[in-house]
Amino acid sequence: MTTSMTKMMIAGAVVLLAAGCSSMKTPATADVAVSRAAVESAAGSGAAELAPQEMSSAREKMMRANQALAAKDYPLARDLAAQAQADAKLAQSKAGSAKATTAADEINENIRVLREELDRVAK
Amino acid sequence: MFMKKSTPALIAIAVLVAACSSAPTTTSLLDQTRSDYLAAQNNPAVATYAQAEFRQASAALERANTAATKQESLDAVDKLAYLAKQSIATAQEVAKRKAAEADVANAGKQRDQIRLDVRTQEANTAKQQAEAAQQQALAATAVAQNAQAQAQNAEAATRDAQARAAALEAQLSDLAAKKTERGIIITLGDVLFGTDQARLTADGTNTARKLADVLSKNPRRTVLIEGFTDSTGGSAHNLELSQRRAEAVAAALVEMGIGRERIATRGYGEAYPVAGNSAAAERQLNRRVEIVLSEEGAAIPARR
Repeated sequence: MTTSMTKMMIAGAVVLLAAGCSSMKTPATADVAVSRAAVESAAGSGAAELAPQEMSSAREKMMRANQALAAKDYPLARDLAAQAQADAKLAQSKAGSAKATTAADEINENIRVLREELDRVAK
Repeated sequence: MFMKKSTPALIAIAVLVAACSSAPTTTSLLDQTRSDYLAAQNNPAVATYAQAEFRQASAALERANTAATKQESLDAVDKLAYLAKQSIATAQEVAKRKAAEADVANAGKQRDQIRLDVRTQEANTAKQQAEAAQQQALAATAVAQNAQAQAQNAEAATRDAQARAAALEAQLSDLAAKKTERGIIITLGDVLFGTDQARLTADGTNTARKLADVLSKNPRRTVLIEGFTDSTGGSAHNLELSQRRAEAVAAALVEMGIGRERIATRGYGEAYPVAGNSAAAERQLNRRVEIVLSEEGAAIPARR
């Protein structure tokens, strides 16, 4: 009973310490860099046209993350970077699904036309 | 090692903390995210095509739920819920993209098959048309050959007819025949009959035999035998004499094997003289029998 109590105490102290360390000491520069890469990748896949809302949200948060970084507000910079990355990933996957859907629509239309032709030839 | 061992302890802390408060923290964004998560979980395309993305989304939601259970600030919960929400949407979009790509691959196969069907159908149609054209060409050739054969037959028939006409002409030259509008006319003079008689002399019989010969070689021709006299004597007598002389020639021909149905006779008496009736020589010319030979298969036009 006493051993489990001490273990709990130790664990609680560790959790508090770890949380304190990550928010205070990590400069968030790496997070912002990773997010920038995600935003650029999304832009490269045509997300600006195909998912404009998510894309502008990602860019706006990127900008604010950079400002926070400059102001040495690292927790804010890291939060904004994480959000920008989530937005960019969604933008990129939306662009991908839009392109694939267009391609599927095109080929299905193609098939419809071919079927008509087949019917015409068969007559 | 240390972290693993401490996990049950962490949960116990979380439970304790939650037990102290009135209710677990939640936000409308977290509720919305949970609802999105359920939708993704129930989407078979997500299970098929976006397993990795869905696992990431699950982990993100788990972090948000944990924060809520630990009653962290609403702002902290919302931040995590937002990340989870975007992650869930990403999983949905990835599933949608891959499903569409699978559709494209499948449709591509379908399209290739239909294209093949179209070409096969076109080839069949072309083949049928070619066969039909060939049939038509064969039919046309047959028609042409038939026409040629007919032309040859017609030519042969013409040559045949010409040959027969030439032969007839040769035969008729002996009979002093004349070509007229009504047909070929052979005139048998008075000397071939006994005076005022209807009996043929030996020369008359000879002439009749030549005529019978011509008729037997030209079975499609018929004859009209016309008798004439001079104006000496009564006209009734002359009419009767001319009729009898015509009949005498007909009888001779029948005796020589010519069918009676091919022979017609007429007596005209002293009508249609070919000369005057004053001199004896002229009267002799009027006493005559004219034999009109028909064209092949044609009737003899009446005397005008």
